[in-house]
Amino acid sequence: MQIEQGHTVQRRSVGNYIADYAARYVFLLCAILLVLVIVGIFVFLGMNAFKVFSEGADVKTFFFTSKWDPTGATTLNGDPSYGAGGLILGSIVTTVFAVVLATPFAFGMALFFTELSPRWLSNLLRPLLEIFTGMPSVVIGFFGLFIIVPFIQRLVGNMVGNHQTAGYGWGAAIAVLFLMILPTIISISIDALRAVPTSVREASLALGSTRWQMMTRAVLPAATTGLATAVVLGAARAIGETLAVSLVLSGGSLPPLVPVFNLFFQPNVNITQFIASDFGETSGAARDAYYTLAFILLAVSFLFVCISRYLASRSVYK
Amino acid sequence: MSVKQAEQGISQSDEQRLAHMKRVVQRIKTGNNIGTGILFTVAALVAVLFVGIIVYLLIQGAPYLFNPSFYGTSDAGVGREIFNTFYILIFAEALSLPIALGAAIYLIEYSRQGPLVTIIHFAAETLASVPSIVLGLFAVLVFIVGLHLGTSRLTGALTLLCLNFPLALRLFEDALATVPRELREGGLALGGTKWHVIRTVVLPSALPGVVTAVILTAGRIIGEAAALIFTMGLTNPTNVFTLDPKIASATLTTHLYYVAGPGSGNLGLTSAQENAITAGSASLLILLLLLINLAARGLGRYIQQRITAA
Repeated sequence: MQIEQGHTVQRRSVGNYIADYAARYVFLLCAILLVLVIVGIFVFLGMNAFKVFSEGADVKTFFFTSKWDPTGATTLNGDPSYGAGGLILGSIVTTVFAVVLATPFAFGMALFFTELSPRWLSNLLRPLLEIFTGMPSVVIGFFGLFIIVPFIQRLVGNMVGNHQTAGYGWGAAIAVLFLMILPTIISISIDALRAVPTSVREASLALGSTRWQMMTRAVLPAATTGLATAVVLGAARAIGETLAVSLVLSGGSLPPLVPVFNLFFQPNVNITQFIASDFGETSGAARDAYYTLAFILLAVSFLFVCISRYLASRSVYK
Repeated sequence: MSVKQAEQGISQSDEQRLAHMKRVVQRIKTGNNIGTGILFTVAALVAVLFVGIIVYLLIQGAPYLFNPSFYGTSDAGVGREIFNTFYILIFAEALSLPIALGAAIYLIEYSRQGPLVTIIHFAAETLASVPSIVLGLFAVLVFIVGLHLGTSRLTGALTLLCLNFPLALRLFEDALATVPRELREGGLALGGTKWHVIRTVVLPSALPGVVTAVILTAGRIIGEAAALIFTMGLTNPTNVFTLDPKIASATLTTHLYYVAGPGSGNLGLTSAQENAITAGSASLLILLLLLINLAARGLGRYIQQRITAA
């Protein structure tokens, strides 16, 4: 009798042991899948990104000229042209402007939220921030298309010549990106400021600082790396932002660089807008050119992640 | 020099120093007032901007939401897109949640700190930062060109799996990390295997966090569009009200993009009808996200109370 019971217990524990063993490897597999996905993204896009350079494009024209027509639709003999310089310039300029404009507002809001705001106000602001962070980019794009573009058109339409097309330029794209990355930078900055221990604030106040001095001379310097991470991640979001930007940008190519005014208020281009609007209608070598653009975006956002990790590894307070 | 004169001299320099100190204090105080004033203004501006945009979009679309024809199944309504949105939401969640939960369990319960964990976290962070349009192009290469799945709901759900993975993983990890170590140790001390303890002790205790994670990832999926425009298509076949995963279909977001952008005028709608679709969809999306945010706050807390009360 006792021996029988012992057998059952043993059998059950063997079964449990096998289940335990299996579960462990199933879970490991799930985790490995994540690594496979990201490696797959680099491998597949990387493999297709360089094809275009053996199909008629060369590196110099790709990066430094601005006639983008991979299907050859605008030339008589159908020769494609792969000048992505204008698109790349568009992505860089809109990202830089949006980040430079959004950063002071984001830091101000984050400082207010962590240092000055009373509790009841924080409880109202937090959900507001969360909702706005999760705002679909297409909704912001819709807002940009129906509010920001007409506004810019009314504001500067008469100054930049062609009133009909005014507004669909980098100016509107920067405004839309500003709205998209502001909540991102704010929430990461709030985390960074929160990570600064209260003792730093108390020490500063005990030395006789005013609140403002405490914030600018003690809290901000202590949170520098975290705040820099926030800006970098904001930039990463801005450069990859697609639908919001592609709804308000409607250029076919980079307009003449002079006058500069035109670049911001006449139809203009960037990388993501071209992928979103034209990739679907292409095939063959033309399609490969779009994979090259996607790979550029991928490489840039990977660079941003590496920078943010480096900054995080150097930060004192986590 | 007499004593009197000396006293006068000292008190004179004292007065000067006092006046100087007062000026310094005054300057610092003014600086403080200006500084905090600027912060108040910036915060007010940002808050007004956010609230203004949300309220504006809600009001702009609200009249259409009360109009039954907005939910119609013709080109002038978005009935089909609403169905597709929820279809793809459930499909993508069913694919991605078990996998992400499994990966989170591995990272929190099984793995030791080491290179593998670092690699997985780095991979998650990198994947989270991949622009969704780039993810869409990757999905075209793998699922459409490579695996011949076509522009379909299945491809869309697989793309969303990749997109959703890092966020879901992080939220699940947070949820599991809140379970106190003593609970696990108690379970193991009673003789349970690790998997048994995870199943009967850790997961039930982490349930509130898991539910919150599910709801928050749902918000991400509902709002996603850029990764879907090439993988799930921008147009609907004649009958979308099936569970067939092989058909292309447009969601609320991709349809909003199509009607406001490249497909404006293609569907044979008047501009008033187009405006109804775009403004209505935008405000419907915001409403859905508000609901999701409320649910994520409320439901997790509710389950927590039920569990701890029981």
